[in-house]
Amino acid sequence: MSKQGRTDQAPFDQHVFDLINLSIDGQISSTEQEELEHLLATSKSALKLNEELRSVTRMLDELPEVEPPHYLQSAIERQVRLPVTSKSNVQKPGSWAGWLNANWLRTGVALAAGVVLTIGVYEMGSEPVSDRDAANMSGTMIRNGHTAKPELLVDSISLSTGKLNGLVELHNRDGVFTLDVRLISDGPSELIVNFARSGLEIDGVSRMQHPVEAVAIADGTIHFTSSGEQHYVVTLRRLPQLHEPAPLELEFFADSKLVQQSKLNVPGF
Amino acid sequence: MHKDKDAALVRDCKRGDRRAMTQLISQYERPVYNAAYRILGNTDDAADATQTVFLKVFEHISDYDQRFKFFSWVYRIAVNEALNQVKKRRAQEPLDDGQASPWQGPAEELDSKRVCEQVQEALMLLNDDYRNVVVLKHISGFSYQQISEILQLPEKTVKSRLYSARQILKKTLLEAANDDRGK
Repeated sequence: MSKQGRTDQAPFDQHVFDLINLSIDGQISSTEQEELEHLLATSKSALKLNEELRSVTRMLDELPEVEPPHYLQSAIERQVRLPVTSKSNVQKPGSWAGWLNANWLRTGVALAAGVVLTIGVYEMGSEPVSDRDAANMSGTMIRNGHTAKPELLVDSISLSTGKLNGLVELHNRDGVFTLDVRLISDGPSELIVNFARSGLEIDGVSRMQHPVEAVAIADGTIHFTSSGEQHYVVTLRRLPQLHEPAPLELEFFADSKLVQQSKLNVPGF
Repeated sequence: MHKDKDAALVRDCKRGDRRAMTQLISQYERPVYNAAYRILGNTDDAADATQTVFLKVFEHISDYDQRFKFFSWVYRIAVNEALNQVKKRRAQEPLDDGQASPWQGPAEELDSKRVCEQVQEALMLLNDDYRNVVVLKHISGFSYQQISEILQLPEKTVKSRLYSARQILKKTLLEAANDDRGK
């Protein structure tokens, strides 16, 4: 490297430039530091370059940290699939032993006094039920033990995103809600239903017409992963405490990308 | 960066432990987002890139070789992802006519916010190779050696790019300051 050009007329001295940069980064040796100090004491151009470069690096260092969007971490967490399935979090559909371990179901069992689940397990544990039965699970429960009331369509969402299409309907019959999900996807798809503030709790998933790859429940959400044609019915039961429930929040993903966010309104008492 | 802690968390992730995954995301979300933001120059793209980075990290966590530092691997994915986004954006956006100088604003006093804007604009004028090194050095706070590991470049190249980038930034920012004074 050139050590010439220590006069003010020199347009640029690579050696001085390197020394200043090394000094800025704290990577300069004591010998080089002495040399730089001498240069700065004897050359106005070196001094000017030093001041300018330090000013630039100070501006870079002082750029403020930017706050990530508040949703980002949870959005990432919901999308991540770890290579090994966690037994505590993810159950294969139809794995009722696993479902019984979940907190929500323990509560559900206590509340439902066995009626709903007994019928549900009976339906699920025997021969495959027909599509019609699956779609009318709440009707089955009502026929077996309650006065029949008409099933009302509460709200619905249609999807037409190209990669993921279909219809989701929320029905209510006498306080038992059913979320009827019919989707068709080109590739891998996911549905996350956030019911945390909806005033509802999950009673079960009645039937998967086409098996989903995984179902996970955590922190007030239920998460389905599947591909191709899917049809399932989630049964939800109203919690008595909440009079002004928040909507059910649904997020649809195709190929790990969020393609639609929707809400289904839940009626209050 | 906590190498041992990272290694333990990665091991747990490989066993399917989602709590370990959450910890790793918590640890790296903010720095990765900030690096992506400074490389890409806008928050939406940075959020998009950050999501994709973590999806790739955990998708390939089984392939991650623990002999290497986890943060190097994460940042390498982050820089590559940010570059992918830059390329996609360039392909989608109409060509700039070159007239829209970032410093053609009102002649207000150079307050700190304006300085930050000018520095970010100047960063965006750097070529990708220079900008990545500057961001890893000044935003992420990595050493020459760490940047060399992340970008898989010789340290000498890292220094050379960093010093050149600073020189370009100096020139750009001085011109910007002169423009402001002239208004």
